[in-house]
Amino acid sequence: MAWEPHMFKELHQIPREEHVFPGTPLCAGCGGLESLRLASKVLGSHVVYVNAAGCFTNLAAFPFTPLDASWLYTTMGSAPAGAQGVRDALDVLIAKGRLPKEEDLKVVVLGGDGSTYDMALSSTSGAITRKLDFYYFCYDNEAYGNTGVQLSPATPYGARTSTSPCGVQHPAGTTQEKKDIFEIWRAHKPPYMATVSPRFPLDLEEKFARAEEYRGPKLFLAFAACPTGWLFDPAYTPDVARLAVECGLWPLKEAINGTVTHTYIPKRKPVEEYLKLQGRFRHLFEPTRQDEAIRHIQARVDDYWKQVNG
Amino acid sequence: MRAVRFHGRGGQGAKTASRILGTAAFLEGFVAQDSPIYGAERRGAPVAAFTRIDTLPIKQRGAIVHPDLVVVADASLVQDPAARVLEGIDERTAVFVNSPLIAEQFQAKTSLPGRLTTLDLTDIALQQFGKRGAISALLGAVAGRLVGLQRESIREAIARELADLGLAAAVIERNQTTALQCYDAVPAVPLETGSPRPIVPVLLRTPTYEPPTRGTAGITAGPNSAIRSVAGWRTFRPVLRPDLCNGCWLCFANCPEGAIAIKPDGKPAIYYPHCKGCLDCVEVCPTDALTVERETEAAREA
Repeated sequence: MAWEPHMFKELHQIPREEHVFPGTPLCAGCGGLESLRLASKVLGSHVVYVNAAGCFTNLAAFPFTPLDASWLYTTMGSAPAGAQGVRDALDVLIAKGRLPKEEDLKVVVLGGDGSTYDMALSSTSGAITRKLDFYYFCYDNEAYGNTGVQLSPATPYGARTSTSPCGVQHPAGTTQEKKDIFEIWRAHKPPYMATVSPRFPLDLEEKFARAEEYRGPKLFLAFAACPTGWLFDPAYTPDVARLAVECGLWPLKEAINGTVTHTYIPKRKPVEEYLKLQGRFRHLFEPTRQDEAIRHIQARVDDYWKQVNG
Repeated sequence: MRAVRFHGRGGQGAKTASRILGTAAFLEGFVAQDSPIYGAERRGAPVAAFTRIDTLPIKQRGAIVHPDLVVVADASLVQDPAARVLEGIDERTAVFVNSPLIAEQFQAKTSLPGRLTTLDLTDIALQQFGKRGAISALLGAVAGRLVGLQRESIREAIARELADLGLAAAVIERNQTTALQCYDAVPAVPLETGSPRPIVPVLLRTPTYEPPTRGTAGITAGPNSAIRSVAGWRTFRPVLRPDLCNGCWLCFANCPEGAIAIKPDGKPAIYYPHCKGCLDCVEVCPTDALTVERETEAAREA
């Protein structure tokens, strides 16, 4: 059965009101901010954002905040634990009648890939096991972007970062594969999970709207094209985000109670088109073309889609 | 000692320029020290870098409060108090500003103290590299000229520093050629060679507190970041031609900042104080209703 959007079928259905306001010190063309802004249009303003340290640390630089919601800042490893505390406090206040039920807030964790894939994994695992009712929004820019683009477990094979340079020993840059956090989460059997891309705004809005029906841990992996770390001009953020999906590297999917549905089946252009746009893959093309590395990346994508299509 | 302070925006190469200057001085046998400072902020936000050059070992560390030369990579920073470009500048300081205005015009406009000299490096970078950000080598060369370093050491320093950044040989060579053109083109000003300035110990800075209406009280009042303007981050601005717009909302959906609002008639409107100039909207526009214009001081203030 083909995936059908129910609530967001055309762009004019995107709510006009803003919940993430301008004036942040985040980089121009930030793909993560783009996803968060779209997501917040569905989430609304009755939200507590629990922000793990990362690029989004800069969202609310005192005394300024772009959010018309509450914001709690935690260390990289403890955002889901912070969310647990906020959720429990809300539940207790409502149970005691000190907070009207209508004023209940959604609890949203904002984490980068460094905290999601790496440092906060144990506390996330605990929170999912405890069936904590929260959203986990991960802006995945495939590196520790805030500290100068170092290797993270989300960095894909072949990318150059400041701690995985392309040298004589490792001409392709990063030698490890991107950790499959989606499957790690799925093994915990949360009710709702999805991957989103800001270049597919309707798909993104639809998924956040769908997730509202489910109580429990909800994961959103947002593709955060990063002009600063991936070394491309900010104007190409939409192109990079689109090609990641079109080339099959960033599958748009959702998993409801563990059943995975792909929400968009790309025609799958060659991965080269995506790689060529970014400076972090430049060493694969010049001065000498590293065909083997490019073939390897293509093969990983092909394998993934073969398994999807059966 | 020569104390040089660079001011730029993240991504413009102030840090690399200070490294180029330091390396060039080192190659000529001087003792050199360079260090950048950028806080939590990022690409587009104010960045500073410091280079000290001396014939004797340098025992000073940290920020340069009384520079001999200030190199400003982005003219809009001069008006930004947070960038602290004017700090410690007096009539003895040489100031270089990357601006299309000539020194007298710029001086009249900003009433900067110091001996001013200007050159439009952004324009040169756009012509040579098609990129506004590719000015680090040019800045380094200009700074090298103003402190009196040799062409050859500048050329070698650019090669070393840009190779570290992983640039291709051909690109480095073009950077060297263009940088040395700027080296020759920049109108030099004599640096103060008289008595050394007294070294003032730098105390920890006392923070300037916002009034409560803007600070703590405001933070409970919801989104107050919108009172900040990020207009200075732009080199280019998107311009909407309403007659070509089909009202598809793609630009509205794709603007990371939320600087594009939808008017009651369903057409978008760009709010320039909030636009960082990433040009995502221009890239997604299906009807080419959004075009790119070079940002000018006059347009930014309008």
